[in-house]
Amino acid sequence: MTAASMSVARFEALAQTFGGEIARWPEGEREAARALLAADPDRLSPVLTEASQLDRLLDLAPAQALDAALLGRLIAAAPRAPNATRRWITGLSAAFGLSAAALAGVLAGIAIGGHIQPPAVLAPAGQAEVVTAADVSNDLQDALEESSAL
Amino acid sequence: MVSDGNDPDEALLAGVGRGDPTAVRTLLDRRLPRILALARRMLNDAGEAEDVAQETFLRAWKQARGWKPGGARFDTWLHRVALNLCYDRLRRKREVVTDTPPEQVDTGPAPDAGLLGADLSRRVEAALAALPARQREAIVLCHHQGLGNIEAAGLMEISVEALESLLSRGRRALKASLADLARGEE
Repeated sequence: MTAASMSVARFEALAQTFGGEIARWPEGEREAARALLAADPDRLSPVLTEASQLDRLLDLAPAQALDAALLGRLIAAAPRAPNATRRWITGLSAAFGLSAAALAGVLAGIAIGGHIQPPAVLAPAGQAEVVTAADVSNDLQDALEESSAL
Repeated sequence: MVSDGNDPDEALLAGVGRGDPTAVRTLLDRRLPRILALARRMLNDAGEAEDVAQETFLRAWKQARGWKPGGARFDTWLHRVALNLCYDRLRRKREVVTDTPPEQVDTGPAPDAGLLGADLSRRVEAALAALPARQREAIVLCHHQGLGNIEAAGLMEISVEALESLLSRGRRALKASLADLARGEE
């Protein structure tokens, strides 16, 4: 592309529109602009200098410092990797051809039923069976919530 | 706007969708400051800019799992969401302003010469804020965000010629309101 493919008026218009750096002008016009500048630097360099003054002033418009609290909130709200319970539910549901939520519902029913059964049949007296039922129930509740969030 | 299949954020976004904390942090480091700066310059209010940036990324998290490669570039999508949120807020502000006229922002030269850095910065910010919103958007996208004319015009849903017109008028207005500062630079 040669200098002749761009007029001085277009060069000036581009400087007034996109600023004093030819690298920031529309890609298809940069080469012709550089050629024109090389052909008549005395006339066109001041055009770029003047446009660059406004560029430098614009650079002073404040950005904003990143607030750690905002970063923390966004990290906390980001998607999380599936936990072990959800992977277990998903795997089982695939094996039985059920949706994860449906399978979690079935398992919750079993857990509640199990809680009604006399625990002594399954284990010796102690805390183990009571804690297990509560844990399973809570885990399944978590799994249900996570499944519905999918 | 469709990407050229070369979206630098695509792999990170897939990681975010899988819940990879490193991908989340890297994507935030790369894109959050840009979106925050965009919102700040559009709204001229630090608190509102944070709200917009937060809402933009919360929406991005919802999209992460279902993000389809080959559509809009993620950075372009982020800009679009953030700009829409900015415009919602600007519209609400305008509605309030019609009821209660605001204090006039003085964008003219300060009475004392030799402004310090922070004063200069405030002058430029005020001049930018005084522009019509579409002119300001064009300047922020092209100058501050470094977008090309085609991408900026696509985001603004206008032709490249219309973008050039907005840029040109915006820069002319800024040049006039900041003329005393430009003279000081010479």
